[in-house]
Amino acid sequence: MTAAESAAREKVYEVDELTRVEGEGSLVLQVRKGKVVEARLKIFEAPRYFEQLVVERTPDEVIDIVARICGICPVAYQMSAVHAFEDCFGVKVDPEVRALRRLLYCGEWIESHALHIYLLHLPDFLGYESAIALAQDDRPAVERGLRMKKVGNEILAILGGRPIHPVSVRVGGFSRAPRRSELEPLRAPLAQALEDAKETVRLVAGLAAPAFEREPRMVALHHPKEYPYNHGHIQSTDGLDLRPSDWDRAFREVQVEGTMALHARTKDGGTYLLGPASRIVLDAEQLHPVAREALAATGMVDAIRTNIYWSILARAVELIHAIAEAIDLIDSYRPPIEARVAWGPRPGVAAWATEAPRGLLFHRYEVDERGRVAHAQIVPPTSQNQGAIEDDLREFAPSVLDLPDDEATLRLEQLIRSYDPCISCATHFLDVRILRD
Amino acid sequence: MSPARPDATTAAPRTVLLVCGEPERGDDGAALAAVAALPPLVAARATIVRCGQLDVDHLLAVPDDAACVVVDAAVGVAPGEVVAMPLADLADRAGRGAPRSSHTLPPDQVVSLAAALRGSPPEGVFVGIGGRAFGLGAGLSPEVAAGLQALTDRIVDEILRPPHARRPG
Repeated sequence: MTAAESAAREKVYEVDELTRVEGEGSLVLQVRKGKVVEARLKIFEAPRYFEQLVVERTPDEVIDIVARICGICPVAYQMSAVHAFEDCFGVKVDPEVRALRRLLYCGEWIESHALHIYLLHLPDFLGYESAIALAQDDRPAVERGLRMKKVGNEILAILGGRPIHPVSVRVGGFSRAPRRSELEPLRAPLAQALEDAKETVRLVAGLAAPAFEREPRMVALHHPKEYPYNHGHIQSTDGLDLRPSDWDRAFREVQVEGTMALHARTKDGGTYLLGPASRIVLDAEQLHPVAREALAATGMVDAIRTNIYWSILARAVELIHAIAEAIDLIDSYRPPIEARVAWGPRPGVAAWATEAPRGLLFHRYEVDERGRVAHAQIVPPTSQNQGAIEDDLREFAPSVLDLPDDEATLRLEQLIRSYDPCISCATHFLDVRILRD
Repeated sequence: MSPARPDATTAAPRTVLLVCGEPERGDDGAALAAVAALPPLVAARATIVRCGQLDVDHLLAVPDDAACVVVDAAVGVAPGEVVAMPLADLADRAGRGAPRSSHTLPPDQVVSLAAALRGSPPEGVFVGIGGRAFGLGAGLSPEVAAGLQALTDRIVDEILRPPHARRPG
């Protein structure tokens, strides 16, 4: 087929069930005369009403409830909520509690990033339909990913009481702080994981990514002294600088036809990118020295900035960071004098943003005079990334129009998986089918 | 119809019972409730692992000489109905149709991945009960509560089943 013939055709690409992403959704791409006239990532999972479920609940109840929003990033939901309430109530936690919360977040990032790289995204790059097929040909690679994922889960289990939906986070600290002896057994598997993560960076830096360049507005927390988990200002590549409680000064949620999830936009209607690539671009100087050195050795910071497919490399560098920082935190750990400080509720607005594995997660609660939630707003990263995903699809799709359907579909799915979307969080997935007129 | 139950005192190989689910999410707590009701003498013959969501690490940790019973609530089955399927058959289903699980690899792909890494699927069976409601804070639905004894009975059968008869009837 010639380029002219291709351009004259109208095509509708429907990714009815997008696989290897978290949750359930579909992609519709309509192409007319060589141009994408519609790119719509639809989320058809029923809304889950968590914002209503937390109304009339106490802050500690909210922290346990919001953890159920996601099985991959429950810590993120707990961290945004607990920091929002503590900021509102003026609670100051023990520095060791602050460190333990970073360690808890390290565990979640390690588990989530290792899962995404090895079981969901790497098969795309290596031409396998799944991690199962990859495991049949390259068992050591998959075992490497599973080793790292396991140590992430072990951190969550020790600090959170269990690996899925941890139960120990409380306003003012933790329900219980671990003894040093409980953390020591993590040291050896973390040392192995660090070597595995370095090998992961070398592996993914050598992959071939599709040619695609676009420079989105990138948004992430930024802290002058540490790679962002729970603290820092919301910053962007175009100069934004906000307290983590002030997300809604620059962004807003919008209802979009055909999807159950709210999208988020800048106040002027613009889209933006969250997640590992944005954090690497905005926060590279704050990476753990071991991660910074590994990133520098790749020479690919610019590629991460302009080609979303290289988010797999950003995620791998963050794996090194999270593992190296976890080792440091364990080595320097001293149990806090008080695992949980006393606090009292006060009416007001409790708002905070932290960095989930997939990007900025904003929570806002209105707390009444009884200390119960009167209204809640939860803005997950996938909701915020949906606009950028659709922008990328509009830009990228023309380059695959001449490919066979199966290959075009694979490239489109791979692009969406680059965002590690968690559609469950946004309300839950993607199967790609191409219909031609 | 379930086969005749062997005598609980008969020697049998160790069984690893992987119990999935979340007790605070309605019918998702069915497996935990059924296992809690196991007769102590039968429960003592199994290694019981409460694993929340089935993960490949759980299956890789099953010793080669042990049998594995994965218990969970299931969708796509009539609420309260007890179903069973060899893990090998579950692994064969992986990749047929899109995964419907939300947060990690779905159970069939978890079993298939474990099979790829172990060289073969762990010997054993999946035992499930159809669930109706999985809402946060909800108890078991009436249908699942009514089917719970049948689920417990089926788990007992699998723990006591001799190795040559592992494939469920």
